[in-house]
Amino acid sequence: MNVPLTVLGGFLGAGKTTALNGLLRQAKRRIAVLVNDFGALNVDAALIATQGGGMVTLANGCVCCTLGDDLGGGIARLMALDPRPEQIVIEASGVSDPWRIAQLARLEQGVGLDAVLVLADAARFPALLADRWLADTLERQVARADLLLLTHADLAGEAGLAATRAALLRLRPGVPVAVMPADGLPELLLAAHPEPPARRIADSPSGHGFAHARWTPAGPLDGERLRAALASLPDSVLRVKGFCRLGPDGVPHLVQRAGQRTVIEVWTGAPVPDGLVFIGRPDMPDAAALSSRLARAEGAG
Amino acid sequence: MTAPVTIFTARRIVTMDPARPGATHVAVRDGRILAVGGPAEMADFPSAELNDSFAGSVLMPGFVEGHSHLLEGAVWRDPYLGFFDRRDPDGRIWPGLKDMEAVIARLRQATQAKPSGSITAWGFDPLLFGGRRMVQADLDRVSTDRPVVVTHASGHTMNLNGVAMAMAGYDRANDLDGLVRGEDGRPTGEIQGPDLMGRVRRVVIADMTSRTMDAGALRLFADLALRAGVTTATDLVSDMSPAIVAAYRDAAADPAFPLRMVPALAARAFPQEEGLARFRELQATSTDKLHFRLVKLVVDGSIQGFTARLRWPGYHNGAANGLWYIAPSELGAIVEAWHRAGAILNIHTNGDEATEAAVEMLERAITAYPRPDHRHTLQHCQMPDPALFRRIKALGLCCNLFANHIYYWGEEHVAQTMGLSRAQRMDACGTALRLGIPLSIHSDAPVTPLDPLFTAWCATNRLTAKGRVLGEGERIPAADALRAITLGAAYTMKLDHLVGSIEIGKFADFAVLAEDPLDVDPARLKDIRVEATVVGGRVFPVPPPR
Repeated sequence: MNVPLTVLGGFLGAGKTTALNGLLRQAKRRIAVLVNDFGALNVDAALIATQGGGMVTLANGCVCCTLGDDLGGGIARLMALDPRPEQIVIEASGVSDPWRIAQLARLEQGVGLDAVLVLADAARFPALLADRWLADTLERQVARADLLLLTHADLAGEAGLAATRAALLRLRPGVPVAVMPADGLPELLLAAHPEPPARRIADSPSGHGFAHARWTPAGPLDGERLRAALASLPDSVLRVKGFCRLGPDGVPHLVQRAGQRTVIEVWTGAPVPDGLVFIGRPDMPDAAALSSRLARAEGAG
Repeated sequence: MTAPVTIFTARRIVTMDPARPGATHVAVRDGRILAVGGPAEMADFPSAELNDSFAGSVLMPGFVEGHSHLLEGAVWRDPYLGFFDRRDPDGRIWPGLKDMEAVIARLRQATQAKPSGSITAWGFDPLLFGGRRMVQADLDRVSTDRPVVVTHASGHTMNLNGVAMAMAGYDRANDLDGLVRGEDGRPTGEIQGPDLMGRVRRVVIADMTSRTMDAGALRLFADLALRAGVTTATDLVSDMSPAIVAAYRDAAADPAFPLRMVPALAARAFPQEEGLARFRELQATSTDKLHFRLVKLVVDGSIQGFTARLRWPGYHNGAANGLWYIAPSELGAIVEAWHRAGAILNIHTNGDEATEAAVEMLERAITAYPRPDHRHTLQHCQMPDPALFRRIKALGLCCNLFANHIYYWGEEHVAQTMGLSRAQRMDACGTALRLGIPLSIHSDAPVTPLDPLFTAWCATNRLTAKGRVLGEGERIPAADALRAITLGAAYTMKLDHLVGSIEIGKFADFAVLAEDPLDVDPARLKDIRVEATVVGGRVFPVPPPR
């Protein structure tokens, strides 16, 4: 299976480093992170297991590496680790277009693009969008994001959140906008990964302020109707991920949806029980409502 | 006992010292200029040895190239595919390739000369091919089993054959910005931008060592410099890795190496504090022939690559505005840190919006932390209007303008990037001089050839490759252009006490010319033959072409 690769973008000061720091502190999977400046990440020294050669290994198995100029080389170094990371996250530089990085990263062997997450500083975004020098850079960062996450909610207040949300909606109607938890980027916003059941329970979304629902199909699904059902979901659904069987032959597939982008690919890994997990904002439809939408995909030919 | 004195005589010595603009004799001791003048001034040194081998020639201060990359030496390990004739380090002229068939023929030759591995070539320039672009099928005629990678003269674009496209994964990339597509929507084999090109260098042509900066590459650059009369040159972006610094030091320590080097530390190759530490460490090790004092920042991209940041009205053809390589909001802190550290900042800005942002941030740093005589220099700086130039003047900034662009890309600027009226005021040497801004002009070698007399010709004549005069009001007199390639460039690096003019106390660095550049028709400036250079009093004759 390809290692899922997530790109974290957003302008300088949007909170990427804080988000990653929180992700690493709480990670339950072996996450490998490519960052612009390891020093800025300010990882608690007590969490560091080993350090050297531009790479830092944490006690929980996560790895940080400095990105430098060579994106592909950095990914290749991570992919050469033993054991291989279960998830890669790349921190885009504050002036770059994160989708552009995703385009290039997905060319590397053994990785699959998971999602492009873009952070917007709710306290500053509208002002930056009015800056004659910076407006178009921010617009480009947002233009092809899968999910938009509002940061610095405490500083911004309700008015700032509303203004930033409105500005983002003008730029990207329909793309999900959610609030970043204060304790960093939650692992549940990253890709699905087959895990032992014990760990899956540990993966429960408590404490992050996200809604969570699970749907288990009754049998194989029709691929086209599944796509249509996923496309009809409201923007309160941030992510859908999991496994199902498709078509009359019941071929196992991996399903990944981030915002409005869906990837459905044949699953060749170890057998995994069917089931899709929905992660959303608190206003996401409940499990029953989601199940009735998805049930339209049931009954494969 | 003092060291021996040598007196060089010349038909004329163009000193760049307005108090003594012309001379016929220069006395040299310990590699430095002891006296300048005529027989009367030389009478103080009765036991001097007379060297009259240049008696029929004209001496100028050795030329100073303010914006070159020593990579210009290394690229010659690969075949040159450009449209214009170009001289290699051996002095051979590679005739320009005027159509696609000629390009393919030269690549096939290279393929035969190197029986295995990848094939790389540089300097390709199809702008004057009447709209014909190179496509994958062209390069498949060179090889269908080895990767072929052609880099364009601009340095911002490559062409790949089918093997190379597949190795890079670009054949199956269904949505990738920077892949040029044909009318059928399929990639044509042309790729644009540093990230796509970087992937090719890493994945497709990793076996090529042609672009490795090592002692051999520096030697090739020095050969080119000698033939062009250059005795001091910048390496205007260096990651200052231990290997390249060792190569600089070895070269500089060799008395037979005919060049003073001024590398600029790439600020963004280091976290800020590490960069400052590396800079201080290097600065303390400067020698007569190796000067660590410049720091390079790149704020935007290139105009012809549509990645430069432009103010209103933007690109003539409607292309979206370019890219910030450093955001204005972070530029201020970076500029301030280096300004306070005493570095001479060399800030790459092509578009006028990038120049304005750089000027704004320099203004803040200079206001908060006054530092007289800083010599911070705007590199390329191709588009400011007079008002922005006046701010540049008020802050005491220097400009190193890209005069060669008018010849190589002037027509492209008229047609695509600027339109005629704005293109006429690009690389505005005339305006800069009228405002009294310290001026240098440059080649950006290997983007254009290392050849200061050609650069001076460009600034003086402003002819495009099609022969159009582009911006008559920005032409400058030959005398001013010659100053820009000597003392002007030295001033921007704060080396004007050592090089750039023929004055007492300075290094005895000369360019020996067959004709007097102040006497010839300015249209012939570029045709003046360089016979030799003198570096620190040591004569380096230009060898005949090999």
